[in-house]
Amino acid sequence: MVSTFGSLNTAYSGLVAARTGLDVVGQNIANVNTEGYTRQRVTTSSVEAPTRVGIFSSGVVAGQGVTVDAIARLGDQLVDGQVRGTAAAAGYQSVRATALSTLEASLGEPSKTGIASQLGKFWNAWSDVGNNPSQAGPAATLLGQATTLAGSIASGWSAVDAQWSGVRGQVDGLATQLNSAAVQVADLNDRIRTAQQQGVSANELVDARSRLTEQIASLAGGTVRQAADGTVDVLIGGNALVSGTTARSVTVVGEHSMTAAAAGGDAAVSIRWTHRPDESIALDGGTLAGAVSLLAPANPTGTGGTLAQAAASYDALATQLATQVNAVHSTGVKADGTAGGEFFRLTAGVPAARGLVVVPTDAASIASRKDGAGALDGSVAQAISQVGVGTGSPDATWSAVVAGVGAAAGSEGDRSTLTDLAASSAKNRQLSGAGVSLDEENVNLLSYQHAYQGAARVMTAIDEMLDTLINGMGRVGR
Amino acid sequence: MLTRVTNQMTALQSQHNLQAGASRVAEAQGRASSLQKIAKPSDDPTGAAEALRVKSLQSALVQHSRNVDDGNGWLSTADTALSSADSLLAKVRELTLQGANEGTLSQGARDAIATEIDGLKKDLLAVANASFNGRSVFAGTSDAGVAFRDDFSYTGTAGSAVTRRVGAETTVRVDADGAAAFGTGPASVFSLIDTITGDLRSGATNVATHLTALDARVTDLRGVQSGIGASHAQLLRADDTLMDTSVTLEAQRSGIEDLDLGQAVLDLQLKNNSYQAALAVTAKVLQTSLMDFLR
Repeated sequence: MVSTFGSLNTAYSGLVAARTGLDVVGQNIANVNTEGYTRQRVTTSSVEAPTRVGIFSSGVVAGQGVTVDAIARLGDQLVDGQVRGTAAAAGYQSVRATALSTLEASLGEPSKTGIASQLGKFWNAWSDVGNNPSQAGPAATLLGQATTLAGSIASGWSAVDAQWSGVRGQVDGLATQLNSAAVQVADLNDRIRTAQQQGVSANELVDARSRLTEQIASLAGGTVRQAADGTVDVLIGGNALVSGTTARSVTVVGEHSMTAAAAGGDAAVSIRWTHRPDESIALDGGTLAGAVSLLAPANPTGTGGTLAQAAASYDALATQLATQVNAVHSTGVKADGTAGGEFFRLTAGVPAARGLVVVPTDAASIASRKDGAGALDGSVAQAISQVGVGTGSPDATWSAVVAGVGAAAGSEGDRSTLTDLAASSAKNRQLSGAGVSLDEENVNLLSYQHAYQGAARVMTAIDEMLDTLINGMGRVGR
Repeated sequence: MLTRVTNQMTALQSQHNLQAGASRVAEAQGRASSLQKIAKPSDDPTGAAEALRVKSLQSALVQHSRNVDDGNGWLSTADTALSSADSLLAKVRELTLQGANEGTLSQGARDAIATEIDGLKKDLLAVANASFNGRSVFAGTSDAGVAFRDDFSYTGTAGSAVTRRVGAETTVRVDADGAAAFGTGPASVFSLIDTITGDLRSGATNVATHLTALDARVTDLRGVQSGIGASHAQLLRADDTLMDTSVTLEAQRSGIEDLDLGQAVLDLQLKNNSYQAALAVTAKVLQTSLMDFLR
């Protein structure tokens, strides 16, 4: 048998539970569009009947109402892990795809003004000089065309160089973001642990931490390990970036210009632990890893960093052009009978693509004739006009570069689309579980509203019962 | 398996779809307005490389056509000059034959013939120095400005020829060998004519003895002229080939690079339709919720 006012208390616990439910629905609806918010739900449990003591207690007793146990955060660690993993891959690919698409645009092909068409005009200018040796007009056209071609190669190289510097700056920024996210995660770990020890809901803090770990994953890959005390450890490259309430930091080493970084070793750009700066961290994804992979120095096998490799192909084009033209040009003699020498000179100390200089200044200094043939012989110029034909020609090299960059840009773009798709589908799964559904919240709103009304009704009924008992008793027959 | 559909999910999905649709429309629009299949190399890397190759062939072809035109000028000039030289030599021969009739001609008449032949020689020398575009067509690679100086010495260099490239593998000689056509120095046709006029004036030798030598020079001249004719024929054939190749190359380039207008417009229309459908559906779906039906 319960006490006289016990039932009032039971009804009151119902009111409290319904009120809490309404509050949580309110919080959910308020955050329906908040990024990274995970929906919450009140978990309640029924209170058992008081244990029967004493010899005179008898009969069946109802339970004593409801208690609010917790406000649960309906996240799914598995899906969160998938979101982080796919974000890392998508971040890596997206940086690479963007860089390659920029690189591809800087080639300026296919167009009427690209290097390919300028090479064609250059060879044609040689043919005209061959037809009319020692005439000022064709010679001026040739020299102008040669200067334009050298300028185009140099500006192509410079565009790659500028892109390299841009990405290098981006790497510094990304590393700073990573470090600051790590510090924040460590701080949140501390606050979450304290909140849990005090029995306060830490749901919003966990949401914030989850957003940060997702950011870390998309920056630098990494995995998250849940600890028993509510904190998480974040590992990148196999080592802890955040461990409990302490955060480590990473630092970017390496030169700030492409030519300096080409030396490799410590000059090459890499990410290292601040506390252990001798070895680089092998990141397993993320925008930072993507950017660092773009900055790797070139190598002879063509498997180096995309940007340095592109710059190297400009250098190779310039060297090849100079070598092949000079080889023929030096067999000729100038107007005054001296040996032809160089047509293009590669300035020492600067990359070949930037140091391509046209040596002759007028018709008389172009070696268009063979020694011994007549003064108006143009056979050497004619021979140079044929350098562009064939498999080993600068034209073929350039066309291979364009096709190579095009193919790489295409496949990186496709891969980026795929990883984006995986990331957005994981995000979708996460939102499916953790996102707020307005319809659902409306239904919950209704049911808590009804629960509140019901509990209030019970209270009224008990109130009326007690009124009858207290004020109406003993007046039978009056 | 998705069991719940949440508002953010729908919104995100709709945004994603609309963005994708808009970017597809933009891409189709770009293609339809430029009518180019390959806007950037990654659209078709192999096609881009092929397009560059074809364009470089086209650019070389333009140059070859220019070379053909230039060569045509050289050969026509040389041909005209040799034809005039031929008729001049015919007149010289005729006059020489007249001068050989020693019995009927007085010395005065022979002097008159010699004077006429001298005039023809001057004409012949002018013809031998014929030039095209400021360059003597019989002087080869010389820069002397004339093929034969006043002492009949030849200015050209033996063995060097003026050629024009009219195809990737073909060059055509466009100058005429002045030394072969007119001879050089004392062995030249001019010296021969001088000998004839000298003999006519002196009367020492019958000029009929020089007819064989004169005929030999005419034969040489005609030999060179037929060589020019052969070169000219080669040049014209090359021109025909260039025309054909230019059509083929343009067809190739167009096949690689150009987009069919009908297809482009149809494509754009399709993309546009699906984008509009996505917009309409999104507008309908995002509006409704349970709140529309609760009091």
